[in-house]
Amino acid sequence: MLEKPNKLRIALICGVAIGTVSAVPGISLINCCCCAGVWLGGVLAMYLYKQQLTEGMPPLESSDALMLGLMSGIIGAFTATVINVVILAIFGPVEQGLMRSIVGKLLDRLVEQGGLQTDMAESMKEQIEQSIRDSGKLSNIFGSLFMTLILYPIFSILGALLGFAIFRPKNPPPTTMVQ
Amino acid sequence: MKFVTTKVPQSGLRSKIMAEVSCFLTKMAILTIMTPGVSMERNKRVYTILLLLTALWCCGILLAPALQASHSMGASVVYSAYAPICHQIDGRCFHLFGAKWGVCIRCSAIYFSFFLSLLMYPFFRRLSFPSYPGRRWIALAVVPMIIDVLLNFTGIYPSTPMTRLMTGALFGSVLPLFILPPLLEGIAQLRSQFSARGGFLYARKAQ
Repeated sequence: MLEKPNKLRIALICGVAIGTVSAVPGISLINCCCCAGVWLGGVLAMYLYKQQLTEGMPPLESSDALMLGLMSGIIGAFTATVINVVILAIFGPVEQGLMRSIVGKLLDRLVEQGGLQTDMAESMKEQIEQSIRDSGKLSNIFGSLFMTLILYPIFSILGALLGFAIFRPKNPPPTTMVQ
Repeated sequence: MKFVTTKVPQSGLRSKIMAEVSCFLTKMAILTIMTPGVSMERNKRVYTILLLLTALWCCGILLAPALQASHSMGASVVYSAYAPICHQIDGRCFHLFGAKWGVCIRCSAIYFSFFLSLLMYPFFRRLSFPSYPGRRWIALAVVPMIIDVLLNFTGIYPSTPMTRLMTGALFGSVLPLFILPPLLEGIAQLRSQFSARGGFLYARKAQ
């Protein structure tokens, strides 16, 4: 029987995807919805891994989901921190201005359309302003890395387990069943 | 009376012990996987740990406003712990003692319903033989939440606290049915893989 494909390659791809989604301004707002970006990264990892499996290889197992989720989450946490630092170092004030402008326009649009109340939009703007001011501090960078190293693997594993439940083989071999 | 002792060379003795240990570990690994009672116990343990962690997570959500109300320094730590996963907008959160919860209404609904569903899981499904519900259930649980988010985002229909609560609770309550079975299976598989690998390494060293 052929060996299963290497998990590290898939985990790297999905980890970088998680990190990019979580760090790029604007797109990172997706994580405001229960870390949806990280969940989707875990699901994507399972999908890509399933695509790599060919005939003659052992079928997809739930242990693959656990390992892929864990690896993707850890890589994602480091990637997000690195991208954040790079963006901060290269663009710095430009990125902060861009962030202010994008979020400001987005919130104003939501207020105009009635999707958000004015005081709520103001409170959001204040929060974003605060996070922009604090983003450059070294302690904040390490603090954020510490938190993401805990949260991203958890949510990525949950995403990968959900992915396994969606993409699992219809008739798993008896050896994988828990008695 | 004379005792005759045979001298076993030191390296030979070590390899013999190593081989015995590896054999014992492999047997134990096989027994752990195959014996239903042991496996059941392990599944119960994993389930209990997951339930406790989820309870802890939910308690943290309520702890944040409690600390905030008592003007404790810990409040900002708890709020910032939940910050990477939720926008925490004041107007979109439940309030306790006049302070907002750690996460928004939708996230709270997801986490608390996840916890409740996990708590009820053993009453409806067997932990000893994890089974999966049909895939359509996950679609049915996710779609209302996505529609609610998209309608609000595009401004077609602004979401209300009730729609956020209901769609979040629906998603959270279905989630354990899909996450717990592969988690129990996956831990059993990883355990067996590591045990087998450990035994194999011992055997190789012994040779």
